[in-house]
Amino acid sequence: MTTFKNRIFNWIKLFHSVKDENLQWKTTNQDQQIKLKQARVLAEKSLEAELKKKSVQLAHEIILLRTKNDTELSMFKTQCKQDIKDYKQYLASLDQLKRSIQASYTHLPEAVAFTIHHHAKHLLNQMWEAKDFEQKMQHEIQLIQFMTTVHEDARLNMEGATTEKLPERTLSLIQKNREST
Amino acid sequence: MLIRITLLLMFAAFAVFLSVDLLLWLAVPGLPRLLTQLGLLTLLSAFALLLTAGLFVVIKLVIAACSDYFSAKQRLQRRLWFIQARQDQLKQLFYFRTVQINYFNERKRKQLLRANNRKHIQSLSKAIDKDLRSMKQQLSKPTYLKLQQENARYRDQQQVEALLKLQQKITTLN
Repeated sequence: MTTFKNRIFNWIKLFHSVKDENLQWKTTNQDQQIKLKQARVLAEKSLEAELKKKSVQLAHEIILLRTKNDTELSMFKTQCKQDIKDYKQYLASLDQLKRSIQASYTHLPEAVAFTIHHHAKHLLNQMWEAKDFEQKMQHEIQLIQFMTTVHEDARLNMEGATTEKLPERTLSLIQKNREST
Repeated sequence: MLIRITLLLMFAAFAVFLSVDLLLWLAVPGLPRLLTQLGLLTLLSAFALLLTAGLFVVIKLVIAACSDYFSAKQRLQRRLWFIQARQDQLKQLFYFRTVQINYFNERKRKQLLRANNRKHIQSLSKAIDKDLRSMKQQLSKPTYLKLQQENARYRDQQQVEALLKLQQKITTLN
């Protein structure tokens, strides 16, 4: 009975000693705990301030981005409209080219005039659809060269400098272009 | 604290049950019944207290989660994410608008090209028709009709190569 009692007392003592130790630890580390709490609160506050600053900055960036996008889009639209206008003008000038060659060579078969015009249109489309700037330039040079040749043929025939019934130089250029592609 | 009280109540209930056993063994009348009821009541109150403690903990956790969700830090974080998502959305919108403008521009260009092609194919077809009429006397009626039909068909189908070949064929016939 006594040993049982002693054991219970020992248990109670152990329990009390653990409690004492806990209390002691709390007392010694109280300052540090308070400091830690304060540091945590400060860190949270600084994080909040930083987040607020960042969100304001981002909101401002959004306004800038929207303005930039609107400007770029309107510029792009204008550029596209201009592109379409240019394309129309190109088509009109190719039509004019066909008319001038027909006017110069009065007995030129419609099929030949059509072939010349069709080839010029093919070159124009190649130029328009080229993705690369360099390629675009190459096709543009090709088109200009072709148009110059046609005009040259028409001029020479009008001036009577040649007796050919067909614009031979233009036709040979078409042949050359077809062979190269 | 609540758990401590619950444990004490449970121990008390077990002690009461033990005493009931003891009284039954001693064959004391009346008292065991009363004590059993008391023990049961104590045990039930212990369980009720335990349940209340659990409920209390759950409510506390819910309140803590809610206050954390609506805390300034979390609100600002969510706002930041929202603004970032809006920015990404604007960038995507810009890209898709560019694609859309490009698409309509290309469509318009192709329309112009088609109209121009149609115009010139029409004039070529007219020239072929004119050539055919001039040769009508030299050709047999079925051949003439066949060639005329071919001309109309190729013109309607916008077949440039076929029309040019037809023109060549008519020239060779001439």
